[in-house]
Amino acid sequence: MSQHAILDEVANAVQAFDPDKVMEATKKALAAGIDPAVIIEQGLAKGLRIVGKKFEDGELFLMHLVAAAEPAQKAIRELVEPEIKKRKGERKSLGKVVLGTVAGDIHDIGKNIVGAMLIAAGFDVYDIGKDVPTEQFVNKAKEVNAHIVGASALLSTSLPMQHEIVKALVTEGIRNEVKLMFGGAPVTEEWVREIGGDGYAENAVEAVKAAKKLLKIKD
Amino acid sequence: MVQRGLKGGQLRLLTRKEARNIHLASLEVLEDVGMRSPSEKILGVFEDAGAEIDRKDRRVRMPQHLVEESLRKAPREIVFCGRNPKNDLLLEDGRIYFGLGGTPVPYIRDVETGEIRRPTKKDMADATRVGDALPNIKFIMSIAGAFDVPYQAEYLHEFEALFNNTEKPILYSCPGTYAAQKVLEMASTIVGGRDELKKKPILTLYSETVTPLAFSTTNENIIEFAKAGVPFTNGPMPMLGGTAPMTLSGAGVVSNCENLATLTLSQLVNPHAPVIYTCWATAMDPVTSRCSYGAPEFALGTSVLDATMAHYYGLPSYGFGGCSDSKLPDAQAGAEVMMNSMMAGLCGVNLIHDCGYLAGGSIGSIEMAVICNEIIGMVSRIVKGIEVSDETLAVDVIRAVGPEGHFMSQKHTLKHLEKELFFPKLFDRTSEVTWAKAGKKDLRDVANEKAKKILKEHFAEPLPKDVERQLAQIVKEAEKELLKKG
Repeated sequence: MSQHAILDEVANAVQAFDPDKVMEATKKALAAGIDPAVIIEQGLAKGLRIVGKKFEDGELFLMHLVAAAEPAQKAIRELVEPEIKKRKGERKSLGKVVLGTVAGDIHDIGKNIVGAMLIAAGFDVYDIGKDVPTEQFVNKAKEVNAHIVGASALLSTSLPMQHEIVKALVTEGIRNEVKLMFGGAPVTEEWVREIGGDGYAENAVEAVKAAKKLLKIKD
Repeated sequence: MVQRGLKGGQLRLLTRKEARNIHLASLEVLEDVGMRSPSEKILGVFEDAGAEIDRKDRRVRMPQHLVEESLRKAPREIVFCGRNPKNDLLLEDGRIYFGLGGTPVPYIRDVETGEIRRPTKKDMADATRVGDALPNIKFIMSIAGAFDVPYQAEYLHEFEALFNNTEKPILYSCPGTYAAQKVLEMASTIVGGRDELKKKPILTLYSETVTPLAFSTTNENIIEFAKAGVPFTNGPMPMLGGTAPMTLSGAGVVSNCENLATLTLSQLVNPHAPVIYTCWATAMDPVTSRCSYGAPEFALGTSVLDATMAHYYGLPSYGFGGCSDSKLPDAQAGAEVMMNSMMAGLCGVNLIHDCGYLAGGSIGSIEMAVICNEIIGMVSRIVKGIEVSDETLAVDVIRAVGPEGHFMSQKHTLKHLEKELFFPKLFDRTSEVTWAKAGKKDLRDVANEKAKKILKEHFAEPLPKDVERQLAQIVKEAEKELLKKG
């Protein structure tokens, strides 16, 4: 089997929303000695890009995006990244994003969708879950040298936690090292400006655009 | 005198056998999968009752008998009271009542400017007054929210605005133990003590589990209300293909599990504590991820499943109607509201909430609430149906009038006229000529005028001054306490 055919198999498995096939095809590609960076770029990420395009064209839906992104992310984390580390390389991505739902809030569907969209676009996403204490956003950002921290809130009573994250990053002295994005139904552009955040997006598609803009990545 | 609402329930899209299958599937899930709970207090209640607790995973698995026994204990009939007894509602199988709004909304449509902006405590009071004034609105939630008070004490301020501005029954949230205790204290102050409150519950708690299959610490409020013998209802949000299976019945199972779990919790805390049941499946729009309140699946999932399962269990129920995804009180809003209100009415959901919700619950609109009042009138007429009796068949009248006569002056006509017809208060049936002469008004303008008129003229009977002061004092002290906690 040619390298090209093996990589196609990886991309097709992502487009088939089949977690087992994604793992299998990725293992096969690694066993064939293909450069891990190429497996991501021309296999997993390629599949995600096609799914993303079909979503934008209205052919596929959010569920498809998440169903493609989750297995691809798993294959990268569990199979490809260890190989990159073994070769003492570093994974190339558009940037590292720490993502979570703020303390006191358990609504995470929106956050999960934004995560899937960012993964599909080529970002390296660290999802730290829901009802996440403020310090955990800070600690994770430090640990992975995040480029972006994103925090979601759905409740009027949890919205102020986004402000707390800004303040905590300032206190830790790393506010200027990361870009801050905030989302959730009650969040507005004015609110993000008011609390000193950097990016706001109305929905998951816009969130990817905003993330790229913040990191000065061209479309 | 307690109001005995119109009986819906004519529309039964699911059979008893299908209801039983949903019930059995739910028992299986509750026993095998169970519910997760970050709350030690909630786990403790189940542990004491002999449920299987996995401390590591914070999971409670509920044996079937525990759930079945709890179901048998919950009362079949509840009188949901207003602080004025003329507003008391009898909740039992199929009787329908519509309510204003839901939980707080992030935006409100300003009636003066049409601007969509953040609501304040004053908006909360204004919206409540409008709900109090509209005759087809029978219980009160919110189409605003108090965004101008410290967020830690938001719900207490909102309750203060509710208690002060309506004499109708109130259904609202107060997350967690402390807020629940404070709200119960406020309500007791109004009715004259805890025992009185139990006899005359002027409020029902709205709690919310975390779909799928998890309690949160906020649900500890159920324990407080169960102890106090004041009704609660739990509203899970299973969204098809998001927080629940893609199928309506599968989402119904998830929802039913969460409600049987909260029901069981309440009966373990206090056997025979009043519970208002829900079973909801909602639609997540697969493009925007927003929960669509105007979707047909939402109407099916929140009315058919809700009423079917409530009827099966013989419990009072709580569901949706009067809500839309549109950003304006426009044609889309009218169509969606008519669809979900009609479904809820015909299915026989007891408490039908969210009247005046636009943008899928992001925007509250007083004008829309005024339009809902009219739509509820039409829905109620449909639910009332057609009476067939000797009197209504009117053979003697037909005989008396004979061919080519008219019925306008018949005693029978005058006797039945007002019973048989719905009389529009807002919708326009005049001719195009009359309409043009009157200024060619759009329904939105008419509703806006009506809304402004109510806001200018209608005030609920105020609470006694000392009670009002005590409520303010409770909120003030609780706010201090909550701010300390951070």
